[in-house]
Amino acid sequence: MNMALKEMKKNKTRFLIIGAVVFLISLLTFLLSGLANGLSEDNMASIRNLPEGNFHLTEDAEGSYTRSNLDEATVQSATGQNNYAFSVQMGGLEKSERKYSLAFFTSTSTSPFPQPDKGEVVLDSSVKEEGVSVGDTLTHPQTGEELEVTGFADNERFSHSPAAFVNQEEFSSMFRIEDFQVLYTENAKDISGLETFSKSEFLSSIPSYQAEQMTLSMILWFLVLISGMLFAIFFYMMNVQKTGMFGILKAIGVRTRRLFYMMWVQMLTITSLAVLLSGLAGQTAGVLLPEAMPYDLPVSTTLALAAVFLVVGFVGSTFSGLRIRQIKPLEAIQQGEG
Amino acid sequence: METFQLTNIRKTFKNGEVEEEVLKGVNLSLRPGEITALTGASGSGKSTLLTIAAGLQETSEGEIRFKGKNLADVKEEKLRKVRAEEFGFIFQSSHLVPFLTVEEQLFMMLEVAGKKKEEDEVTAILNKVGLSHRRKAYPSSLSGGEKQRAAIARSVIHRPSVLFADEPTASLDSKKSEEVMQLLEDMTKELGMATLLVTHETEMLSFADRVVHMEDGKILA
Repeated sequence: MNMALKEMKKNKTRFLIIGAVVFLISLLTFLLSGLANGLSEDNMASIRNLPEGNFHLTEDAEGSYTRSNLDEATVQSATGQNNYAFSVQMGGLEKSERKYSLAFFTSTSTSPFPQPDKGEVVLDSSVKEEGVSVGDTLTHPQTGEELEVTGFADNERFSHSPAAFVNQEEFSSMFRIEDFQVLYTENAKDISGLETFSKSEFLSSIPSYQAEQMTLSMILWFLVLISGMLFAIFFYMMNVQKTGMFGILKAIGVRTRRLFYMMWVQMLTITSLAVLLSGLAGQTAGVLLPEAMPYDLPVSTTLALAAVFLVVGFVGSTFSGLRIRQIKPLEAIQQGEG
Repeated sequence: METFQLTNIRKTFKNGEVEEEVLKGVNLSLRPGEITALTGASGSGKSTLLTIAAGLQETSEGEIRFKGKNLADVKEEKLRKVRAEEFGFIFQSSHLVPFLTVEEQLFMMLEVAGKKKEEDEVTAILNKVGLSHRRKAYPSSLSGGEKQRAAIARSVIHRPSVLFADEPTASLDSKKSEEVMQLLEDMTKELGMATLLVTHETEMLSFADRVVHMEDGKILA
């Protein structure tokens, strides 16, 4: 006989309310996580897509890629297989009256970025939905240079804009920048005159990225914390209501361990069902939300957050359950009907 | 033959600097198949004596001898085991588990006592207490008398050696009280239990084999 499930069956409303609250909080957490991840992708997908490695900037750049100028000798000596240099600048292209804000990338030939020839451009596939097709000609408004769209690349974005990959000659002409800004190496840690950053350090050094992510992360973990406190409060209140019954059960010989087990089964059942439903809803949101809304909730993140919810629920309910240990059978008997 | 022997039981409560002795060296023995009724005015110490005998609170001094052991020296986990397997409890209120049906209350008690869940056994007890037709009912749908009969069934389903009944008829009218007491008497004889009954209702004393009167923490001769 499972007393925990019998109690849930008999007191459906009470447990449904707790389940509904857990569902809503976990759904909010999943949606926010999807949004945080989506924004992160929208902001830095082109950098996040790169493998883990070392990002080098000139020392005088003080950790800002916009101020970094790598000299040609360094680039020549350091680049090769899996080592490459790249630059990025914000700009735009036009087609008839339509303007497109883009993040322009150029890189040395060994990079994983697309390498178009002179007079060509490869765009992030999101631009396709804005009416641009392969073969279209786009104009750079400042220089008047014309670029033919030769292809699209998936999930290449930077600073919330679609990426545009161009030839280095074109890039220099558009932005008047001769030197590459960032050197990526797979293994080389120390290069004279350059400062080295890990991928996460490099991402954090990019203006707005860290502030955006920190804000969302704080809200996310605050929600997780709130859910843990809610568990503790709900189960504490339930345990207080059941003090008499627990006391009587202890008096007739029920182990305290069994009362804890009963509470854990209830907590795990409620949390598992609520988190399963909210996880599914979170995944479905990814399909239903408009493309313009940056939302990305990988299954691995969903599972990790679900595990966090289970752990937080367990800790919260166990903490509240400490009261069960303190219940004296005698007090329950003397209090009357349990 | 004595099943249960209380010797020189003393209980002192401390209230700040003040010490109050509520039991002053009580000696009492319980015998199988007998109801021993403890009576006395409120505050005479009868309920305290019952809860000490049942292992629900510690004694300040004295011995509680049961099956060759002094329960006053037994650790909490062993005491819990004794309560689960050897003792039965009936309280002033029925204290049934609100989300279990009548028969589930009995199955739970068998499980707690580490005994097999015998359907026949449960049916037999429910027949005896006259609740076989209410076996699937939840406590909320039972009358006061039915609740107390269900509580009696739960207290004896695992065939305890000692039954502790603390004012079991206090919340019932006189007719139902007599029914419950008759049931207690029958069960005590049939199962050979040593029953300790605390009551302040003199009408119920006729069901007891022995009446012990307490006053001011002592048993009167």
